[in-house]
Amino acid sequence: MSIKIIKPGICSTIQDLGRTGFRSLGIGPGGAMDFFAAAVANYLVGNIEKQPVIEIHFPAAEILFQSNTLISISGGDFDAHINETSIEINQPCFIQAGDVLSFKKNISGVRIYLAINGGMEAENWLGSASTNIKVKAGGFKGRLLQKEDTIKIHSVTVEKDNRKIAVSSNAIHSVYNNQNTILCIAGPDWHLINASSENIFLTSAFTITNQSDRMGYRMAGESLSVKKTTELISSPVVFGIIQLLPNGQLIILMADHQTTGGYPRIATVIAADLPKLAQLPVNAKINFKLVSPGEAEERLISLHKTLTEIQAGCQNFYDKY
Amino acid sequence: MLSYGNLIDSSINEKIIALHKALAAKPFPGFIESVPAYASLAVFYDAIFIRYNQPNIKTAFEVVKKYIIELVAEISETAANKAAKIISIPVYYNGADLEYVATINQLTIEEVIKIHTSVNYRVFMTGFLPGFAYMGTVDEKIITPRKETPRLHVAAGSVGIAGAQTGIYPIDSPGGWQIIGKTALSIFDKNKPDPCLLKAGDEVQFFSINKNEFEKENEH
Repeated sequence: MSIKIIKPGICSTIQDLGRTGFRSLGIGPGGAMDFFAAAVANYLVGNIEKQPVIEIHFPAAEILFQSNTLISISGGDFDAHINETSIEINQPCFIQAGDVLSFKKNISGVRIYLAINGGMEAENWLGSASTNIKVKAGGFKGRLLQKEDTIKIHSVTVEKDNRKIAVSSNAIHSVYNNQNTILCIAGPDWHLINASSENIFLTSAFTITNQSDRMGYRMAGESLSVKKTTELISSPVVFGIIQLLPNGQLIILMADHQTTGGYPRIATVIAADLPKLAQLPVNAKINFKLVSPGEAEERLISLHKTLTEIQAGCQNFYDKY
Repeated sequence: MLSYGNLIDSSINEKIIALHKALAAKPFPGFIESVPAYASLAVFYDAIFIRYNQPNIKTAFEVVKKYIIELVAEISETAANKAAKIISIPVYYNGADLEYVATINQLTIEEVIKIHTSVNYRVFMTGFLPGFAYMGTVDEKIITPRKETPRLHVAAGSVGIAGAQTGIYPIDSPGGWQIIGKTALSIFDKNKPDPCLLKAGDEVQFFSINKNEFEKENEH
């Protein structure tokens, strides 16, 4: 049982929820940029959230299924089609051997996650199937998917089933709502920026530039500055940290970030807003708003509750088999 | 994030690494991992797990903070630091920037090599690349700033200097350090369960080898 890549798309990789435990060696977590969508896609086909999925950007991959299976797509909306018929996202979709999955247009979001019932075969490196391109490890041979790649899938026999899973689209949308506001907590170096820069950070809009990828989003906006220029020694950084570059512009570190950095870390995007940020396209304008660490936790717990509800709905569906 | 300021100092770094090791030996429920740097330590934890396990707490952050403050106090009482692991690294000093490092410091190439191999270096932290060890401190006689324009390609095993730091590129990568030599020793091997040779807290001793010795080692 396998799938075959007909067209690779611009940046298709196997990811899971990331590699933890090795940051102290300089090995970053990687993993799905929109970890919420990756988990939802897995639940929708009856998998646990950690199963490897394929992260796809637009222009997207085209994939041939060489056996019957059940798939789902979550995250953005790229107008998914099976052969020439459009399919619903955030629902399981029955696939027959010979079917081709393609994506016609980028309706919303930046990346989608393809989950396959039973999961897919992927290289496990240090406990994760996430692709680490820098060291060529994990996922599919540690690299982007290419034309003709064949990936084994582990689907159990599935029968066609036209029932739908009761997934509340409101619940899913709640994660991506208020597109223009990104919540963050003050970073370890917040105190280094001057008062007018604090004001700029909190009141003006910043645009995601085209120099944005899985490593980081470079932002364009009014220039910020520090109270006094000091060379900082390297310190740990995380997914979501916002650093002030020497040219006064901001960079938000994303899933494939380095583990340490030497630029002022002025704020950190709260974990619950990372899925939303991961789906914001180039040219999107965002405003940052500071919240307390306590509120950041509340929002993470609320995101987790949403996920648990979706998981319960899916489990209920698959228990009937 | 725990920070002791903006200073490269062995005794501060020792405290950070002692805490990093203490957390690994005595993790709190919900602890994921910690990352030591020169003078700070990032502690990663599962806030959801902590909150569900202790429904009466206000924030997981406060609980973790309290645990770490107590652990810091415990460590300073039992300070006795174990001797660092010493790793010897053979270097063939023929790097593309060796002459530059010698020239701007008004030294001969031989003197640069002698100075670079004269002391043991402390691995303060790893970062930038998997297994890239930031080591120091370099004798002030050979301190050299980073290249103004980083190279697009620096080969794995290249030994470099950046300011008062020295390091070895574990994999091929772009980079701006002044390259003074190369080692045939594997610094990073993704196929090993423990892929990185150098870890924060280790001590490194460089020694100079000639071209023949380097090529012989490189065959293995």
